[in-house]
Amino acid sequence: MSRKVNVIGVGMIKFSKPGASEDYNVMAAKAARAALKDANVEFEKVEQAYAGYVYGDSTCGQRAVYELGTTGIPVFNVNNNCSTGSSALMLGRQAIAGGLAECVLVVGFEQMEKGALGSKYTDRTNPLDQHAGVMSRTQGFDTSPPAAQMFGGAGREYRWRYGTRKETFGKISEKARRHAANNPLAVFTDPLSLDDIMASPEVFDPLTRYQCCPPTCGAAAAILASDDFARAHGIGKSVYIAGQAMTTDFASSFSDSMIKMVGYDMTVSAAAKVYAESGVGPEDVDVVELHDCFTANELLTYEGLGLCPEGGAEKFIWEGDNTYGGKYVTNPSGGLLSKGHPLGATGLAQCAELVWQLRGKADRRQVLGARVGLQHNLGLGGACVVTMYRND
Amino acid sequence: MSSDRLGFEGRVAIVTGAGNGLGRSHALLLASRGAKVVVNDLGGSHDGTGKGSAAADAVVAEIVAAGGEATANYDSVEDGDKIVQSAMDAFGRIDVVVNNAGILRDTSFQKITQDDWDLIYRVHVLGAYRVTHAAWNVAGGMREREYGRVIFTSSAAGIYGNFGQSNYAMAKLGLVGLMQTLAIEGKKRNIRVNAIAPIAGSRMTETVLPQNLIDALKPEYVSPLVAWLSHESCEESGGLFEVGGGYFGKLRWERTVGKTFKLGREIAPEALRKAWGEVTDFGKATHPSDIQGSMQPILSNLDTRSRGGNELIDVDAALDAPAIVAESSYDERDVSLYALGVGAAENPLDSKDLSLVYEMSGEGFHVLPTFAVVPSMKVIFDQFKKGDKAPGLNYGFERILHGEQYTEVKRPLPARAKLRHEVKIKDIFDKGKNAVVVTGITTFDETGEELAYNELTAFVRGAGGWGGERGPSGDVNVPPERAPDATSTEKTHANQALLYRLSGDINPLHADPGFAQGFGFDKPILHGLCTFGFAARAVIKAFAKDADPRYFKSIKVRFAESVFPGETLVTEMWKESESRIVFRTKVVERDKVVISNAAIELYAEIPKPRAKAKPVAAAIAAPAAAPQSSEPISADVFAGIKNYFEANAEAVTRIGVVYQFKLTSPESVWTLDTKAGGVAAGSATPPQCTLELSDADFMAMCTGKADPMKLFMDKKLRISGDLMASQKLEFLKKIDPAIVLAAAKARAGAGGAPSAAATPPSAEVASASADTFVAIEDYIEKNRAEATKIGVVYLFKLTAPDSSWTVDLKDGKVSAGETAKPGCTLELSDDDFIAMTSGKADPMKLFMDKRLRISGDIMASQKLDFLKKIDRAAAAKAIAVKKSLLPMPDAPKAAAAPAGPAQAPAIFAALGKLLTLQPNLADELGAALAFAIGDQRWVVGGAAGKGSVSLGAATEAAATFTLADEHLVALVSGARSAQDLYQHGDLRVDGDVRFAHKLGIFKGLL
Repeated sequence: MSRKVNVIGVGMIKFSKPGASEDYNVMAAKAARAALKDANVEFEKVEQAYAGYVYGDSTCGQRAVYELGTTGIPVFNVNNNCSTGSSALMLGRQAIAGGLAECVLVVGFEQMEKGALGSKYTDRTNPLDQHAGVMSRTQGFDTSPPAAQMFGGAGREYRWRYGTRKETFGKISEKARRHAANNPLAVFTDPLSLDDIMASPEVFDPLTRYQCCPPTCGAAAAILASDDFARAHGIGKSVYIAGQAMTTDFASSFSDSMIKMVGYDMTVSAAAKVYAESGVGPEDVDVVELHDCFTANELLTYEGLGLCPEGGAEKFIWEGDNTYGGKYVTNPSGGLLSKGHPLGATGLAQCAELVWQLRGKADRRQVLGARVGLQHNLGLGGACVVTMYRND
Repeated sequence: MSSDRLGFEGRVAIVTGAGNGLGRSHALLLASRGAKVVVNDLGGSHDGTGKGSAAADAVVAEIVAAGGEATANYDSVEDGDKIVQSAMDAFGRIDVVVNNAGILRDTSFQKITQDDWDLIYRVHVLGAYRVTHAAWNVAGGMREREYGRVIFTSSAAGIYGNFGQSNYAMAKLGLVGLMQTLAIEGKKRNIRVNAIAPIAGSRMTETVLPQNLIDALKPEYVSPLVAWLSHESCEESGGLFEVGGGYFGKLRWERTVGKTFKLGREIAPEALRKAWGEVTDFGKATHPSDIQGSMQPILSNLDTRSRGGNELIDVDAALDAPAIVAESSYDERDVSLYALGVGAAENPLDSKDLSLVYEMSGEGFHVLPTFAVVPSMKVIFDQFKKGDKAPGLNYGFERILHGEQYTEVKRPLPARAKLRHEVKIKDIFDKGKNAVVVTGITTFDETGEELAYNELTAFVRGAGGWGGERGPSGDVNVPPERAPDATSTEKTHANQALLYRLSGDINPLHADPGFAQGFGFDKPILHGLCTFGFAARAVIKAFAKDADPRYFKSIKVRFAESVFPGETLVTEMWKESESRIVFRTKVVERDKVVISNAAIELYAEIPKPRAKAKPVAAAIAAPAAAPQSSEPISADVFAGIKNYFEANAEAVTRIGVVYQFKLTSPESVWTLDTKAGGVAAGSATPPQCTLELSDADFMAMCTGKADPMKLFMDKKLRISGDLMASQKLEFLKKIDPAIVLAAAKARAGAGGAPSAAATPPSAEVASASADTFVAIEDYIEKNRAEATKIGVVYLFKLTAPDSSWTVDLKDGKVSAGETAKPGCTLELSDDDFIAMTSGKADPMKLFMDKRLRISGDIMASQKLDFLKKIDRAAAAKAIAVKKSLLPMPDAPKAAAAPAGPAQAPAIFAALGKLLTLQPNLADELGAALAFAIGDQRWVVGGAAGKGSVSLGAATEAAATFTLADEHLVALVSGARSAQDLYQHGDLRVDGDVRFAHKLGIFKGLL
């Protein structure tokens, strides 16, 4: 029997554009200190630390944690592409659920360069070569940013199937900007009209520039603890993790579907596991933070998570079921599109937003009466982590 | 009451069992809508006991009270003719029969009695039959008047089964079968027949269902279906519908695609068990709706015949399997070792033999042609070593005896080569106890040209006996009676097999004494193919012109007997024609024929390889050997690349990748260092991205004749290292052809030395951009007021190829060179300029991408919108007139294609014709669809008429498709599907993409 894992503190710094941030260790330490303060726990109580980042030399995690203190605790460096943050979160949860630790720090950070994602090592097999193979088979390669080609291609395939209007994709970005306007920690806090979004330069049909998340620098952190720890330290009722699952690619990722290649089945399978473990289904969820690296992926993820039926995303979007007043509020934080996407930090920034929401402390972004929150974090290559949070 | 109300005025309906429940509800609804109704009810209880007239009378009274017309009938449905007669008597006709009467005798199968069974059958099946049959056949009935609507009442119990209702389920599904046949028989006479499976609370179900459910399942929720199916406007027939509680749905049969076995071979239950997943997989399913549909898989399997087999050989699987592809390579050492292995150069002073084993021989180095078996056998051995078995061939090496061998070379084998082999099972014969498997191995060289063909005939011991074809038998190549025309005697060495095995046949039978004894031989035996090589050498020496092995074409042998190393081989040869030598080989010591039925064919002339790419690598390594031709070779292209790198240093540096090109046939290696801007032969800098392709493909890629992505997909281009870096190769398309030509000319002039430094004479630089400037001038002339309002002097500095142009919007003049002081200077490549002025590239985007540099008055660059209005096609005349006036030398580069599409007009004309001939196709399109191709727009369908095709129409369209002329052609030829074009971004769709699903109509249009 595994133990209940509470999120007793979260913290996050304002995300910024590449070149405008502090060094990774400074960002990470600020987010971690904020989480410790939020939990009202001293760093000395932390038994293990899990540090997620993608770009950086080895042991950046230690360098960041050393800013908080040199207590000799185990520090693990976690790298899982865009789902790095939630992968670290999962490891921290496992340590506590399995009884191996009582209190852990999970911190994610990223100091990104300008421009589209590319590969750093060119003298060895590219880990995404099989994914790229699917793409070259189904739609070829061009000179657009590779990730935009992959997710944009999935958008094309979706449109082919359901005839979805391009504006439907743009509408997701309009919503993201509207939500982010209330999030002082987001990179983009200016709202954009649907016209602005559709008129921005095309990156890869159907995606325009404002439908792609920007390279971002930032950090976010969470403190996880057992019930025993919480009791012993006078910590009251906390938001807890009610279910969590990670999936990696299935054979279907490498068939000839762009939608599957970008991880649709990983999402479906991880969500099913989480719904089973947590005992709550999509209909019980109040608020969702999901992986909107591109608008096309947010659209696909609605269906992957079962928020709407397959083929029903367009209706879901235009009827406003993804925002305040609708069935769910998706990405109240502004999501990756507007809040920004520092790869290692994203999974923990999603966690922070949901914890704030479930505590009722999300200020102007607050989803009224939110008790159940769902997190979806996806990385190509691939890993998908889905997490259910509850406060009851 | 609305005009589309379903009325039954003048119609007569019989509803059986209409005293209560569903029947009563049907009767009331039909009567309320004008039908005259025969209300039949026996008046018994729901289990079929008792009778009375009260129930029917009450319903009739209710109908009459509501202003309708009805008559009561109290007969049992078993007396169907009486019910029908009472309808004829009362109303003179019958239009509708609703077979509704029914009873229940629920009991478990264990307890059921004959009476329970018979009674249910009689009321439900026999009764429905009697009433319907009488209505069908009575004088003035349905058949005669050619009109009828019949409804049977089935049940979910029949469709799905239900505990305790075996009798009822039998009857209810029986009615479905009856209904389906009557639907077929009644079709021609406008008699429509359907069945419903209602769930409703009634007297019959009140004992089965809880009250609250009965309340929800009102009969009134079922009767609308009966009314609609009974109406004259309803064409539905042969349907089965589930209905109740507000739900209406139709059922159909679904069948798995299943598994089809080929006929003519026993279908073992085990085979069926193995295929059970396929048999029961509804993932792929069909919905047969009639007997024809049901028979379809059986009919389409009639002509298939299994070619037989057993547990060792599945003939169908083996013969139908695709070719296995393998690669190998060899060099001079392999060739020499083989020749030594088959006894060549026994006399090392014999110059002919020496040329087979010594690559620097004065005679030239010749490959013994039978070497062609070595790489092909290696493929087979590698298969076995890996444990791979060809599909359908489930036996091990130990069963195989090499029976016959045929080897043909298409031309003399090169001294070294990289090969690709396709291995295919050609034939399988059943020799009774044993089987014969014929394997064909076709070998191609690196350029894809066929080099050799081998056919290996193997006896597979104990694998025959399935009663299959025996195949050819008997003797071929039988030596004539006369004495041989030539004879050769050669003694093999005691260690001959140990030498020969180094060429790749590592079977221990030829080396390991213990192993050989295990197979019943006293000692290891010589390889059959070794003897084969000895014999071939002997024939070549005796009969090939000048004993030159390059005249050898093919050899066919049968291995009759084993040879022991050390024995003496005598080959006897008969010249049957100039090109054909029959021979046999014997072992002297035992006087046994070891090779029989054998012949060698010779070429009259040494075959030459097909004309191929020129040996460029040689040009670099040894300039003297380079072709004198001034036709560009890859080295010239690299000269062009170097020039491009120099001219665009900044843009190139930004690419930041070191590429290596490994070209083959001929081989050369080039390093393009975009970081340092260098181009060098050889591998100077460690590359991040390596591209391997043939020289010819490289040339095709650089001249735009081949798409890199297509080469990659076809596996003609291998990319290793940073796959993503291959995206940045666009610059290859920007190489100035003039430079390449100049380099080629310089190389040819200098006796073949490549000259990367060569620059073209400026007179040769020209491009399509010149036409555009004429068009700009044309535009300015036509729109002088608007143009001069801009009032800026622009200087365009174009690169690759270089040219500069002044566009003076103060004075409205366009001229080559810098002829006025510019207010704003724009620097960009010639290609980008063309793209910008043809609307394919946005100036702002070019600027952001740093492909356009603006200096001087930057604000003036915002007034460049007029460039989008330049229409080269409209200015075609001006271009023609001005061509001689402007300093525009003949362009080596082809002039830009006219803006209008080439093939589209013909294609749309054909589409218009097709839609006129087949109007239903136009219906399928469903809406007005617009096509933007080049600068023209066609609209198909819409306001002008659904089958119309119009050019230039401004009609609103449900979807607009934008694609290039060539892609429309690909759609028509079927080379690309609409989905493929769309997913690749070659077909852009504005509006609902699903309209693109219909673009299949273009396929095969021309």
